[in-house]
Amino acid sequence: MSDDAAATAPPDARPDPPPEPDGGEGAPRRSAASRAAALLGSGAVQVLLVLIALFWLVPTLGLFVSSLRTPADNAASGWWTALARPAELTLANYAGLLDNPVFVGSFWNTVLITVPSTLLIVVIASLAGYALAWMEFPGRDWLFLGVVALLVVPIQVALVPIAQLYGGAGIYGSIVGVVLFHVGFGLPFAIFLLRNFFAAIPRDLLEAARMDGGKELTIFRRVILPLGGPAIASLTIFQFLWVWNDLLVALVFADAANQPMTKALQAEMRQFGANIDVISSGAFISMVVPLVVFFAFQRYFVQGVMAGAVK
Amino acid sequence: MTEHRWSARGGVALAAAGALVAAGCAPGDGGGAPGGGDLQGVQLKVAAKWTGVEQENFVEVLSAFEEETGATVEYEPTGEDTGAYLGPKIEAGEPPDVALLPQPGLLEEYAAQDALVPLSGDAASALESNYTDYWRDLGSVDGEPYGILLKAAHKSIVWYRPDAFDAAGVQPPQTWDDMVGTTASTLSDAGETPFAMCGASGWTLTDWFENVYLSQAGPENYDRLTAHEIPWTDESVVQALETLGEVWGEPDYMVGGTSGAVQTDFPTCVTQVYGQQEAAMVYEADFVAASATEAGATVGEDARAFPFPSVGEAAPVVVGGDIAVAMSENEGTQELLAYLASPEAQSTWAGLGGYLSANSQVQPDAYDDDFTRQLAQTVLDAGEDVRYDMSDQVPSRFGATEGRGMWAALQDFLRDPGDPEAAAQELEDAAQEAS
Amino acid sequence: MAETSQPPEAGGAAPGGPAAGEEPGPQEPGRAGALGPPGWLALAFLLPALLFLGAYMLYPIGFSVYRSLWDASGTTFVGLENYLRMFTNPPTFVALRNNVVWVVVAPIAVTVAGLIFAVLTERIRWATAFKLVVFMPMAVSFLASGVIFRLVYEQDPERGLANAVITTVQDTVAPAGAYPDARPREGAGLAEGPEGGYRLEAEAAPGEGVALPLVGVAADDLPASAGPASGPPDAGPEAVTGTVWLDFTPGGGGEEGAIDPEERGLPGVQVRLVEADGSTAATARAGGDGSFAFEGVEPGAYSVVLDGRNFAEPYRGVTWLGPTLVTPAIIGAYLWVWAGFAMVLIAAGLAAIPREALEAARVDGATEWQVFRRVTVPLLSPVLMVVFVTLMIYVLKIFDLVFVIAPGSVQADANVLAVEMWRVAFGANDQGLGSALAVFLLVLVVPAMVFQIRRFRRENS
Repeated sequence: MSDDAAATAPPDARPDPPPEPDGGEGAPRRSAASRAAALLGSGAVQVLLVLIALFWLVPTLGLFVSSLRTPADNAASGWWTALARPAELTLANYAGLLDNPVFVGSFWNTVLITVPSTLLIVVIASLAGYALAWMEFPGRDWLFLGVVALLVVPIQVALVPIAQLYGGAGIYGSIVGVVLFHVGFGLPFAIFLLRNFFAAIPRDLLEAARMDGGKELTIFRRVILPLGGPAIASLTIFQFLWVWNDLLVALVFADAANQPMTKALQAEMRQFGANIDVISSGAFISMVVPLVVFFAFQRYFVQGVMAGAVK
Repeated sequence: MTEHRWSARGGVALAAAGALVAAGCAPGDGGGAPGGGDLQGVQLKVAAKWTGVEQENFVEVLSAFEEETGATVEYEPTGEDTGAYLGPKIEAGEPPDVALLPQPGLLEEYAAQDALVPLSGDAASALESNYTDYWRDLGSVDGEPYGILLKAAHKSIVWYRPDAFDAAGVQPPQTWDDMVGTTASTLSDAGETPFAMCGASGWTLTDWFENVYLSQAGPENYDRLTAHEIPWTDESVVQALETLGEVWGEPDYMVGGTSGAVQTDFPTCVTQVYGQQEAAMVYEADFVAASATEAGATVGEDARAFPFPSVGEAAPVVVGGDIAVAMSENEGTQELLAYLASPEAQSTWAGLGGYLSANSQVQPDAYDDDFTRQLAQTVLDAGEDVRYDMSDQVPSRFGATEGRGMWAALQDFLRDPGDPEAAAQELEDAAQEAS
Repeated sequence: MAETSQPPEAGGAAPGGPAAGEEPGPQEPGRAGALGPPGWLALAFLLPALLFLGAYMLYPIGFSVYRSLWDASGTTFVGLENYLRMFTNPPTFVALRNNVVWVVVAPIAVTVAGLIFAVLTERIRWATAFKLVVFMPMAVSFLASGVIFRLVYEQDPERGLANAVITTVQDTVAPAGAYPDARPREGAGLAEGPEGGYRLEAEAAPGEGVALPLVGVAADDLPASAGPASGPPDAGPEAVTGTVWLDFTPGGGGEEGAIDPEERGLPGVQVRLVEADGSTAATARAGGDGSFAFEGVEPGAYSVVLDGRNFAEPYRGVTWLGPTLVTPAIIGAYLWVWAGFAMVLIAAGLAAIPREALEAARVDGATEWQVFRRVTVPLLSPVLMVVFVTLMIYVLKIFDLVFVIAPGSVQADANVLAVEMWRVAFGANDQGLGSALAVFLLVLVVPAMVFQIRRFRRENS
């Protein structure tokens, strides 16, 4: 979402991805008359924005500092007092967490749930998106409208039926069940995003490939996938974070041995004050991966989120 | 929804899953099993929610059974919500052979679904000879015995900080009136807040109520109210609420006043007493010991407890705990239950610590510490007047659900103890809604 | 966020989308003609997706509708009774009411915040950094955000950031007294006085000494200057004297209302001598031994009053997570999470506004505010609409934040439909009512579904 990112436009050969969200560089667009007035106000605006930015940063900082304090310190005083006494900060909570088999297990469960479901969604949605964009068959447009309609279906509708289905199939509580559920509910968005993107690929490229007698699968692999790179990246990152951060699906479908971090931490919330050491450090660890992904791939992530408008 | 109260650590400590199971259950393979080994090659599964030290001790108790019979017993941790763990397993037709249910309500539910196998043979006779009628009835549905209260929690003790009592010059009270009129008021005069409340954890409030009600209205009424044979609007309930109001209605008697009392969860309230020294007393069960230790106190020295004072004629003894049931007809299941119900197994367990038995044949000297020994003695002394935690006997929607039923109604009452009749009405409405 | 459509500004242009059943244009893809692959191959490409959509969306919708007509255990057909219970059952009704509050307040608040941020950042150099900061919460889980706000909303001003800020401000305005917990020893003749203070019931005349025993202060909390209490100093003919002390012997014992050896004074307590007409004749402050004296007092009868300021309670802050404020407090956290989303979408919309339109208005002499209201906002309205509708859909289904932030004791007051659905279906095991709630949520999002389909078709035609 940086202006830099906007400048680094995709290579010409590729279709344009959805434009950079904040692409506007709010540079000189004011008349000389208004400039003076604006200058006056700009100092106030700067201060206001700094305050707002602090309002966004400080709570997160609070979590981080709390995670570096002992439970006794946290019970006795606010985290901000530690800023004056940095000596009392300690990594003990994190060390304790790494020694805690339940938390470490839940970290790996998060990975085991997130990676396969993201991959599956991308593969299945790419195939379907391609078919909906470039293959001719009866009812195609209606089918796609159906996908559009499914975009807003609330997850709650599926909880009871799928729980019963899983009970019967013996995968209730398992990681497989959680992964498959995420795939099922992630697909409409994924298909929607990729189909729209694929459809914008220049027609002649495909025609040429088909002329050359390319098989559909080959065209898909050689033409569509490389050209669809940016959209696939957006989707991958978006889905990754979505699944990584999920609580509700895990709450219903993952049992104690297979629970991801979110569920493990949620269980601690019942005794918030007493478990603050585990909760704060655990929550921070659970945030690190999304934050790294976010800062590394912000452009793609923002595109994914923007494409998510009007779910 | 009540499981977490046994484990000071909540979910994270729970489900230390696989590793420990493998470590604890590997033996039992050998042909060298002494005592005949008539269950050679039999494999059994036991599911309970215990983890950590509790799990290790239980597995050790199980290993004696393995050695004796040659069977292999595998322990499965159920996680926090035993019902949510067992439900799908039952549906899928793969329940564990023996399960430890945290609430009699679940036992009734499963019995109605034909998911339980009645106790028979040695297991039935062990229950018959080792337990009082009350415990037998608790584990029975329609006269058919299903469950054995295996591990009890003593819920009729009040924890206090001796140095606070010393500073105010007060002694542990014998009666409720002493506790409110003398102990609490003197502590308050001395500038010590008498109580830390755990109001955000609704189950602690149900435990308060149960103790007052059992002592004030007596065991018969307690049973009738549990069965909802008398309405919650009954005069006895209103009276118990009024009694509770003598503490709950005094903001000066609770850390942080009324809003602090409602917003503090368990075991933060324990930390308020033993960690921050903000209050002199906290009411909850024997398992407070774990949280008090974590807060830096030494149980028996700077963390002590006195029996819940008598409100009516006799001091109450309310007990909670886990009930062992058979969920399969596999060979060895009834034998395992018979073993678990035996005084030998439970005495072994008592010696390992962190355990309280409801078995009348387990002698107090089986326990390795004075504190538990005294608790065991009060249970034995109370005999037929011991009662099981009411909120765990009523439908869980009423007795054990966050934001619902007893939890919510008593939290509302703690927030505003002015109108016991209205609170009783709220309880009655919720009880009807849940039935 | 898991599904949906292109950003509005991108909508028309970017994926230059093929139409859904519309007239084929020159750039219309998908018409592969004779070269196109056979239909069965398309089916093969689509099959995995169709299986998933069928199993996880279509079947559940059907089954939920069906299941909602049966009782808790699924054995008795109850018709629409579950739907009736939904509106009569108090907890569900609270959830419904809160959902209405959420849907009315949250989308507007977030959209407005996003609009303000987007407009303000147009003028600053570090806009990118600002946007990164505000957008960041979108990347982390609601659980983590919930933990963050549990810390912010902690009631104790010693620990909760929000109350720490508020009480700091408040305490500067109205400082707390030195002995907020102190109260008179019962039976010592001290009655409630004006403004939270206490008044000695017996009147005092010059030449007399009075005893003012207080309790309720922990010995550890006494200031260092507190020494052993001594009786009222000798009062001359023109003085009233007295002692205000902590009438509690550490370890108990001691005589109530009398100064015992181990009892200490309460230094700094402000005492007033009040005339019959209520005016203050003299003021004094207790010393380390608790004694004080009013000198040069005219003959007459006075009352001795312990000033209310001694006992002013420190301000305890706002009970954010109490029954009344819990929903607004969680909406605040929601704003924190989602404002970045609204800001980024709206900023993109702003960037797409043709500058000529703005310049033209300015040339016509419009003020910046007029330009904003008359030109910018109308041109932005499609984007604002999309942001608003998107937020509404998410708000209807709000689950995690409420579930995580609301402490156990106020879960019932903070209840919303999605939480209630989970609790009913998986806590109370009433899958009939749970299914009815799920179906109800589905019905609520149908208008959004229609909006979505219509917008999509419009953009692609």
